[in-house]
Amino acid sequence: MTPISFKGTREGIHISLGDQPWREIMDELGQQLVRPGAQSFFRGARVQLDTGARLLGVTELEELIALMAQHQMTLTSVIGEAETQDAFIKLRSALPAPPEILPAPPAEAEPPATDATALLIHRTIRSGQLIRHAGTIVVIGDVNPGAEVIAEKDILVWGKLRGVVHAGASGDASAMVGALYLAPTQLRIGSSIARAPDEKRAPVWSAEIARIRDGQIVVEPWNAA
Amino acid sequence: MAGRVITITSGKGGVGKTTATANIGVALARRGKRVACLDADIGLRNLDVVLGLENRIVYDLVDVVEGRARLRQALIKDKRLPDLCLLPAAQTRDKTAVKEAQMLKLVEDLKKDFDFILVDSPAGIEVGFKNAIAPADEVIIVTTPEVSAVRDADRIIGLVEAAEKPAPRLIINRLRPAMVKRGDMLDTKDVLEVLAVELIGIVPEDEGIITSTNKGQPAAFDDRSPAGGAFTRIGQRLLGEDVPFMVFDDSSGLFDRVSKFLKR
Repeated sequence: MTPISFKGTREGIHISLGDQPWREIMDELGQQLVRPGAQSFFRGARVQLDTGARLLGVTELEELIALMAQHQMTLTSVIGEAETQDAFIKLRSALPAPPEILPAPPAEAEPPATDATALLIHRTIRSGQLIRHAGTIVVIGDVNPGAEVIAEKDILVWGKLRGVVHAGASGDASAMVGALYLAPTQLRIGSSIARAPDEKRAPVWSAEIARIRDGQIVVEPWNAA
Repeated sequence: MAGRVITITSGKGGVGKTTATANIGVALARRGKRVACLDADIGLRNLDVVLGLENRIVYDLVDVVEGRARLRQALIKDKRLPDLCLLPAAQTRDKTAVKEAQMLKLVEDLKKDFDFILVDSPAGIEVGFKNAIAPADEVIIVTTPEVSAVRDADRIIGLVEAAEKPAPRLIINRLRPAMVKRGDMLDTKDVLEVLAVELIGIVPEDEGIITSTNKGQPAAFDDRSPAGGAFTRIGQRLLGEDVPFMVFDDSSGLFDRVSKFLKR
């Protein structure tokens, strides 16, 4: 059995749920969060949750988010199966913002940079897998056909990009998509959509980036950027 | 002694999981290994038919799991190869009849008596697939050179990785060299480029498979069968032998059996 694991990263805390029964996970998580000394590690942290092959529904995610909220932690991204992702998205739009326990920042301060950091994924994203993140996503590996990568900022793929990508998913038209081999099934930036040409293009290994120019998605070689 | 548990799966249906299981089983048993083939496709059993053992079934996997029969009673010895056994699926039940823990226990028992346990997985990614994958030490993915099958294989590889199994190996089944040559079919390179896993065999399209399946006489018994030969080589590779990959050249209208090393 794989237990829960915690990893501190630059972006916050990465929690892998492991494969124990759900109740045991919640119990263990609850205990871990109140261990002596744990408060300073977890308090105010932004959490990336790796659910692996486990499917979490809205109820379970809600429970998890509530537990985290008690420790002023915020769930920022979920890595896992599409069903789990769907539940997360439902919650994000349906729930109010995480309870404000910390004092609100003064009005003239910079816009909160909370979700702007990058998520680094060092593996191939396969068909049926979906990665969603509130900042930039960097994939070292391929994004295969049938996979989806959705970021609120840029998407960079150090490998072959052949799945569906959506950069600037919350409407940011300045976001861009870059890949060493850019041949996505569909490419979305902000609210614009482009799809692969129907005639097959000879596969070329040359880094390209896609961005919006004059309201249109334009693909150009990386060095011209 | 503990046998190796190899689950054969694909995601998509109809790509040849059952044929592959039967033929690899025959190939290994012909090399003197004790092999148990386990049909995990409860409710849609086929492996017994392909192996030609359908009329010998008295008890099945679900009977064993539910305690109506002992494992030894349910195992059917092959009529041609004494080292080959089949544990058939139940036909009148469905996938929910077996729990993951029961599957693990069953395979654990089989491991004591066999060198190889080949688990024939059902298509799909639901509970039947999960039960089939749970006991696996190794996983073999079967795909055909079609975009839809490769897409499903990719999905399955992701799930196998998420289940923390070792990297699966790949069989490309029903390859048609003439079509590849014309550019009408994905070739081995195209498939491997997407899936990026280790190749363990390429099986050419072979009409003989249909006849052998209908007769319940797996092609791996026949040394002249192109597909049977390919499955025999897969068996050898599973035993750690370094067997070159065939290059199927269709120029003469037949598969030229010129073996070249296919550098991967």
